[in-house]
Amino acid sequence: MIIVIGLSFLTYLLMYISPGDPALKKLNAQGITVSEETLAEARHDMGLDKPFLVRYGQWLAGALHGDLGNSYKDGLPVAQKLVHALRYTLILSSASLALALIVAVPLAVLTAVRKNGVFDYIVRFLSFIGNSMPNFLISVLLMYFLCVKLKLLPVIADESVRGLILPCLALSIPICAQFIRQFRAEILEQLGREYVAGAVSRGVKPSVILFKNVLHNAAIPILTIIALSVGTLLGGSVVVETIFRWQGLGKLVMDAITARDYPVIQGFVIFTSCVYVLINLLTDLCYRRLDPRIEEV
Amino acid sequence: MKRRIIALLLAVLMMASLCACGNDADRDDGKKILRVAESFAYPSLDAHKEYYGWYTSIYGITEALFAMGDDSSVLPCLAEKAEVGNDGLTWTVTLKDGICFSNGTAVTADMVIKNLRRAGEENIRFAQFAGYEYTAVSDTALTIKTSDVYPTLINDLASPEMAIMDLDATTDFDSAPIGTGPFVVKSFEPEGTVEVSRNDNYWGGDVKLDGAIFYYMQDDESKLMAMQNDEIDCYTSVTAAAKEIFDASPDKYTVTDIPATRLQFYMLNQNRLSDNIRKAINLTVDCGAIASYLNGTVTAAVGPFGTSTAYGKAVKPAVDTTAAKAAIEAEGYTLGSDGIYQKNGQPLKLNICYYAARSLDSLALLIQEQLKAIGIDSTLTVQEDADATYVASGDYDIALYCMIADKNGDPYYFIDTVLRPDGYWKSAGFESTDAANLIAQLETETNTAKRAELANEIIQLAIDDNAIGCVGLFNKITVAAKGVSGIYETYPFDFYRIGANTDIV
Repeated sequence: MIIVIGLSFLTYLLMYISPGDPALKKLNAQGITVSEETLAEARHDMGLDKPFLVRYGQWLAGALHGDLGNSYKDGLPVAQKLVHALRYTLILSSASLALALIVAVPLAVLTAVRKNGVFDYIVRFLSFIGNSMPNFLISVLLMYFLCVKLKLLPVIADESVRGLILPCLALSIPICAQFIRQFRAEILEQLGREYVAGAVSRGVKPSVILFKNVLHNAAIPILTIIALSVGTLLGGSVVVETIFRWQGLGKLVMDAITARDYPVIQGFVIFTSCVYVLINLLTDLCYRRLDPRIEEV
Repeated sequence: MKRRIIALLLAVLMMASLCACGNDADRDDGKKILRVAESFAYPSLDAHKEYYGWYTSIYGITEALFAMGDDSSVLPCLAEKAEVGNDGLTWTVTLKDGICFSNGTAVTADMVIKNLRRAGEENIRFAQFAGYEYTAVSDTALTIKTSDVYPTLINDLASPEMAIMDLDATTDFDSAPIGTGPFVVKSFEPEGTVEVSRNDNYWGGDVKLDGAIFYYMQDDESKLMAMQNDEIDCYTSVTAAAKEIFDASPDKYTVTDIPATRLQFYMLNQNRLSDNIRKAINLTVDCGAIASYLNGTVTAAVGPFGTSTAYGKAVKPAVDTTAAKAAIEAEGYTLGSDGIYQKNGQPLKLNICYYAARSLDSLALLIQEQLKAIGIDSTLTVQEDADATYVASGDYDIALYCMIADKNGDPYYFIDTVLRPDGYWKSAGFESTDAANLIAQLETETNTAKRAELANEIIQLAIDDNAIGCVGLFNKITVAAKGVSGIYETYPFDFYRIGANTDIV
């Protein structure tokens, strides 16, 4: 809770000291010549004429009662906007994460087991490329080849499964590439441990060593990597969401930053900080489940 | 194992094939459905609020009493005419006969009055309409008594925000307004896809399309590829790169490129720059070269308005770098060994402020290069919010800006916003008694020809004083698949897209 409140205060402060007046921005967006009286009136209506701490205190009091305020841009409740965008972000991020894991885990295991083999080199090369390419380039290339050239998928994504394929692929490819490299490194580290050599010398089957010992011991660092990715994914991806017309959180907050829509930015910060705290908590619980010694410490 | 892999691959291929099936069920039924990509979308269809009326007009749902022509003239739409009385304040608006809403209800003078009042209450730009006196003279005639002389009343009544809706029958203004347009809302997703279908009760006669789908697509590459993939039939704001691609396939696409109303310009700060330096800058900035560099997305501007309009007749001197250098030297500067003018050991260095939108970043770089070529050094300062920073503070030598100069076929909005001494751009320090007097006349002048004459005089004063430099008017570039017609591609305004005559064959 302290972390969440601290973050919300910092964000509020940063928005306060950054150049740009939300009232002026709103009036300019309406295309009127802004007089000082009109601006003062708008600032009063939006509560911007109050001292910083009063504004923050009022916002915090509302937030603690579940009221995140209304958007400066369209007057809609922030919570409603966040929930609407979250639905899209959850669909896209869970599908992307699932796809990345389905591909990355077996490939990481195979490349670690067949270290320095042809397969390992090919996968490492591809994962290097996947890691290096920015999202927008992946998105455009996927669109060009799968939609324009091969006519397999539509450019205009909708909420159906086929509409999800391209944005999901665009998000999954870099995550998958990153997972393969990191998982492989973790598995290789475990494979080099003495307990593996001991098990081999005792004649334990390689598959048993791999699946029962190595993967189990590599699970904690792998879980940490996954948890970090979940947090990032739930924050939304502006580029992918914009290119594929996906109304997720990333696009929502980017539009809000451009419009100086403070209530939406604050709501987003609260949401993402809660998500990170929650994921960290869940990860800690998983650690203890995977390795009971952690609880003892 | 191999069999499993082959089975998996086949499954993926089958899924992909299913995915490749089209989603245009209505088009497959032989219906004429136009698919359009739009760069903006709003959370509401309430035409009176904010700029939402632009989009209800684009979607063909609402209409106003008057409409804009492709030559920026005001044309009758729901109203036949509007005439001002001898007092200069009382206007009589006569509606056309047989006008009705999409639900079949007749449009009456009473309903028009309710709409004008509501638009005034809901929209700060039209707040004046909330306070006027209205009288319904008959079912098809009303009077509007304004508090001051209002020369541009008809122009404002042509604004899409002044749409006429059935206020009594509409229960959900945000997603299902009942208008008079050739189309009605079929489905509405806030800030997303909008579907419209033909209004069978359209007062203006037959509507050629069965419906249209408007996809909200911000990304330029996505729009290009959706067009190439035959998923959309048309869109505007085509980029220079995409235009080249479409131009290369004239058998598939029709590209229309016209100068529109969005202006790139710069203000020269008279509080910091002398007459000679401002003159030198304006003689150096080569708008033709800039337009050429921007690859056809802008047309080089002379003044703030298109030269085809009656109020776009101002002239400016041709680029003359020799005269520019002479003006700088007349100010006491000498050319240094580094190629930059200096005086008293201080280089001639300007601060060019801009914001990174509407190609102003490219414009800033090009102006910097052109100035450097004659010996003026400059630094570029980028701000995210021009209005809250350099426009307000005046901390600039050259301030770049972009705005719609001609909103409704009249020059007053731009002149009032930019050139009024002590107005929004007071930080630029443009002070001219002559200009102030002419602007005061323009405020009340009702004769259209005389208004154009006054506007030309005011703009000429600003150009002659080197207060402003108009660089380029953004082109409205529209691409349409062959067979698509009537998409208002020759209209410089952004708020029209489909109408009764829009067709696809």
